[in-house]
Amino acid sequence: MTDDEQPPPAPPVSPGQWVLLSYRLPREPSTPRITVWRKLKRLGVAQISDGLIALPADARTREQLEWIAEEVTDFGGTATLWIAQPAALAEERKLAQAMADARSAEYEQVRAQAEQARHQPDDERQRTLRRLRAELRRINRRDYFPPPQRRTAEAAVAALHPANTTPASEEHPA
Amino acid sequence: MKWATRAGIHIDRAACAWLIRRFVDTDAEFVFVTDPAAVPADATPFDMRGVELGHHHGDCSFETILRRYDLTADPALKRIAEIVHEADLDDERFDAPEAPGLDVVLRGLSMIGDDEHTMAVTNPVFDGLYEYYRRATLLGREPA
Repeated sequence: MTDDEQPPPAPPVSPGQWVLLSYRLPREPSTPRITVWRKLKRLGVAQISDGLIALPADARTREQLEWIAEEVTDFGGTATLWIAQPAALAEERKLAQAMADARSAEYEQVRAQAEQARHQPDDERQRTLRRLRAELRRINRRDYFPPPQRRTAEAAVAALHPANTTPASEEHPA
Repeated sequence: MKWATRAGIHIDRAACAWLIRRFVDTDAEFVFVTDPAAVPADATPFDMRGVELGHHHGDCSFETILRRYDLTADPALKRIAEIVHEADLDDERFDAPEAPGLDVVLRGLSMIGDDEHTMAVTNPVFDGLYEYYRRATLLGREPA
């Protein structure tokens, strides 16, 4: 076995690290609260309770939440960033499962839209393809525990491209 | 002058370091720290939480530095700022199809070398991007 052949990942024996953001914003004005919440939603955070959200910790998630903490402070609120470990593996699984479920619902929507678009006229189908690819990219970026629906949605979207829908013989007649 | 930022640089910090050395302080010396408390007293911190040259009002640090040093009138720098913004924040404020590509290049670089290595690779990349968008501005279209 060479060095770059990695064994399949073993199931985790202890919970991993999570980055937690605990924040408070004044009730009014409501715009900053909405801005911050939209950004958190875009990152696909798990909401643990009111004003406490979590993401699996890595350099990127930590930085993203650091900047949101900064923004909360700029808006006159308070924010603290924590690196934490769920006390039990089961707690972590529940959190991860909830996040995977949220993503799989989003992938399902994309798949359904792609399947509906299959018989659209060519130019309309191309537009749908571009839109759904952008949507998939957005979902992928907040997908930390990829559910099987990810592949299905990607395949359904890819199938909207003429080169993937028309048999090669019809596309390029000899 | 000394400038300090967080170690493990990615797109925004690499672009800021290039911008600082090329347009703000040609003798810039960079210090990479792992904790904000480790910023030397004589260094100007950037792209760190709680500093002037950081993310503010939805802008990334590159945009903040452009504004702070009156560089916003340069259209090539403005275009690079849009790309860095999208690569860093991905909030679809700008149309920058270059961003996702540049983002993965930087992520990959951070996996194979230290910050000095990343900067040694990215400085000519940003020089090239700057020249490209400078010519694009002069021509009014994409240069060949």
